[in-house]
Amino acid sequence: MSAIVVENLAKRYGDVEALRGISFEVSRGEVFGLLGPNGAGKTTTIKILTGLTKPTSGRAIVAGFDVVKEAAEVKRSIGWIASEVIVDDELTGWENLEIQARLAGVKNWRERAAELLRYFGLAEAANRLVGKYSTGMRKRLEVAMALLHGPEILFMDEPTVGLDVGARMGLWEVIRQINKDFGVTVLLTTHYMEEAEELCGRIAIINKGRLVAVGTPGELKAKYGVDVVELEVSKPVDPSKLSPFGEVVVLDGRVVVKTQRAEEKLADIVKAVDGIKSVRVKKASLDTVFINLTGASIEGEHADIKRLYARVRWARR
Amino acid sequence: MWLMLVAQPLMWIVFFGNSLAGLPRGFLAQYFGVENYLAYMIPGMISISVMTMGMFASMSLVFDKRLGYLKRVLTTPTPKSAVFLAKAAGAMTRGLLMVPVILAVGAVLGVGYRVNPASMAMWALGLVLAGLGFSALFTIFTVNTSDVHAPGVINNFITMPLMFTSTALFPKEFFPQWLRVISDFNPLTYITELGRNALVYGMPPDIKALLAIAAFAAVTITVGVAVVEARLEAD
Ligand SMILES: Nc1ncnc2c1ncn2[C@@H]1O[C@H](COP(=O)(O)OP(=O)(O)OP(=O)(O)O)[C@@H](O)[C@H]1O
Ligand SMILES: [Mg+2]
Repeated sequence: MSAIVVENLAKRYGDVEALRGISFEVSRGEVFGLLGPNGAGKTTTIKILTGLTKPTSGRAIVAGFDVVKEAAEVKRSIGWIASEVIVDDELTGWENLEIQARLAGVKNWRERAAELLRYFGLAEAANRLVGKYSTGMRKRLEVAMALLHGPEILFMDEPTVGLDVGARMGLWEVIRQINKDFGVTVLLTTHYMEEAEELCGRIAIINKGRLVAVGTPGELKAKYGVDVVELEVSKPVDPSKLSPFGEVVVLDGRVVVKTQRAEEKLADIVKAVDGIKSVRVKKASLDTVFINLTGASIEGEHADIKRLYARVRWARR
Repeated sequence: MWLMLVAQPLMWIVFFGNSLAGLPRGFLAQYFGVENYLAYMIPGMISISVMTMGMFASMSLVFDKRLGYLKRVLTTPTPKSAVFLAKAAGAMTRGLLMVPVILAVGAVLGVGYRVNPASMAMWALGLVLAGLGFSALFTIFTVNTSDVHAPGVINNFITMPLMFTSTALFPKEFFPQWLRVISDFNPLTYITELGRNALVYGMPPDIKALLAIAAFAAVTITVGVAVVEARLEAD
């Protein structure tokens, strides 16, 4: 049985179409990653699946319950972690857990809360005000709060944003453990490809409210991975000379060629262009899959910001 | 914060409460039912304070939205109406905390209370209901907003007219006919009169006034629950 079923889910905020009909399924016990550029609709998807907002159309089943018609049952089965840490700064860590327990309707919470605090290294700080916690401590407290009622499915919106390397790897370990030992299904969003590759069995990439690919990291790399050859040049390049090798993007001073098996073509590519200052080759990775599927927006914006900044400078005078 | 909250009714009592001190005693006794305007005003001031404190229900909800905390709450099975009722209960408690403070100030300023115990009990119940009712009323108006200024604006918009169309500060006998009619539909009038019976006149409880307040609380809470269930969003 699937933990999450999403069918043609759409969400409109006024004029903004945050989701334009996405469908995917997550099996029980999976760690599923939702990737996409800023504004793609990841948080919106999580908000619908956790019952925080209603879809404009389409259907979603979480833990066997319809998110619209059986929201209370859905909420009993899930845990949720926001991308911005949400805890009550004016209460202690322990009091935050107590409120969470009451909100979630957990009766014998004390023992479990103490255990979770110990597990997350917060036992000493339990009676201190959360406002005085560090970012990492607040995040760990939030994770403890999400686990307090023993959810079947955990939604984590950018769980490791703002954590240092050690804390990040620590949280990865936690996610792996609760997934392996307790069979908790995890749906997480992230902007770190490394994190997605490390944790997720399967990944969905969404862009501008549409699902553009789903699969294991390996499948995605095999199917959508491109090698990227980046040339720095001293004079303008005629793109038609490079187009036999793959898609060409010309920027001022740089040329990007998206291709397969770059190592075999590299010599020919270099020969086709005059005035090369430097060459860089990026082999297919989740990074290049992401760039390939969501548009080479990074290169495009690079040129725009130069022009924009020039205008801003001019306006200041 | 607390000092400011307490300071407001105190200023009313000290400055406004003494503004009629020069009136002839006979006039005061005839129109206010007691020779000391301060005594007349204290139950009204308590009603006004309990009403004003209702704003904290709507403010707290707006802040929970702003801080994202409402998302945390609404991803749990806790119903939206429970959040609403909790906010109303919280603001009502704040309002009740003002009661002993104002009573004490009155006593310090020389008001002698003529207490009727049965009326006191009824008044206490009335204050709880009125506190819940006003809190619910404010919250209904700000259920859709996450603007932190909205509760303050709504508060002025509701409390000012309610205050001046009730008997909290002046007796009905002063009013033109149309104002008397409004005053008869104003919950602030009833909770004030309950207080006067209990505290100033030493009279037996007025069941009708209590029923009026209960009806006010029932309507605002029922409407509030429905509105919140239908319209409250996490952000
Ligand atoms: N409450 C809202 N009202 C109006 N528009 C919204 C609202 N929430 C989200 N949007 C819009 O919906 C789109 C998708 O937003 P969403 O937060 O889901 O993106 P995201 O994938 O989580 O992005 P990020 O990586 O930046 O967190 C954006 O264009 C956003 O502006
Ligand atoms: Mg987001």
